[in-house]
Amino acid sequence: MAEVHLDCLGEACPVPLIKTQNKLNQLNVGDILIVEIDHSCAMKNVPEWARKEGYPVEIEEIEEGHWYIYIEKNK
Amino acid sequence: MEQPQASLKSRVHTVTAKPSVKKKNQLGYGIALLAAIILFGVFLSNIKAPLAIRWMLGIALGFVLQRSRFCFTAATRDPFLTGSTSLLRAVLIAIMIATVGFAAIQYNAFSAGKPVPGNISPVGIHTIIGGIIFGIGAVIAGGCASGTLMRVGEAYIMNMIALVFFIAGSALGAYHFGWWKANVIKNAPSIFLPNVLGWPLAFFGQLVLLFALYWLALWWDYRKAE
Repeated sequence: MAEVHLDCLGEACPVPLIKTQNKLNQLNVGDILIVEIDHSCAMKNVPEWARKEGYPVEIEEIEEGHWYIYIEKNK
Repeated sequence: MEQPQASLKSRVHTVTAKPSVKKKNQLGYGIALLAAIILFGVFLSNIKAPLAIRWMLGIALGFVLQRSRFCFTAATRDPFLTGSTSLLRAVLIAIMIATVGFAAIQYNAFSAGKPVPGNISPVGIHTIIGGIIFGIGAVIAGGCASGTLMRVGEAYIMNMIALVFFIAGSALGAYHFGWWKANVIKNAPSIFLPNVLGWPLAFFGQLVLLFALYWLALWWDYRKAE
């Protein structure tokens, strides 16, 4: 079970979402993707997309305006 | 929400920057800002009452835009990119509400025999070309006009750069507009739907069309989810 970090700092939406989609495709089932973002818009569409796909999602604000989105590729 | 296993982040080991550092409490800043907003509003109302109303409307609009992540760019982009239409449906509801309000104001003026207020502009091929150019720019800049302003307020540096060119582009556009108006737009007709279709058909037709689009957006969202 790998943990993969994806650096999307400084990227405006929709770039973080596209990167997340591409990265998640490359991962194996059971891996956890940690997306680092600082764009509040990506805070909406990345978790929304992942939840819709049926992946477990968690969000953590590491510091002001800097978030980690945890996505588990469970299938 | 019950989870069968430990939470995702507790199972992650490679995150070293745990948010152990206590976040700054921003309540003081918030109260100070609110006081400043009210004071400036009072100051404006002493000059001219409508100024204070505009000030408050602007603040309220910005607040709602920021908190709701309302974004016209995402509203038209996400249906194609992610299949999500939640923002598009919000925009459609906003247009429906605006339709009712605008129709009331315009019909009032119309029945009183006054000129109908509102920006009724010539429509033509230039509308479509302009829309495409604006759309490309908005997606690259990460926000349309309101979205850019809102994110400048969030201190997102990319949108500050976008704002500089947004202002430069608007100024250039306004400077050149006379030429376009004289050479490209001059033959385009200004169409005010109630004049063409009559008031009932224009008003209810627009609402029905918007409801149909809403339903279509809903269907698109659920179809994508399967």
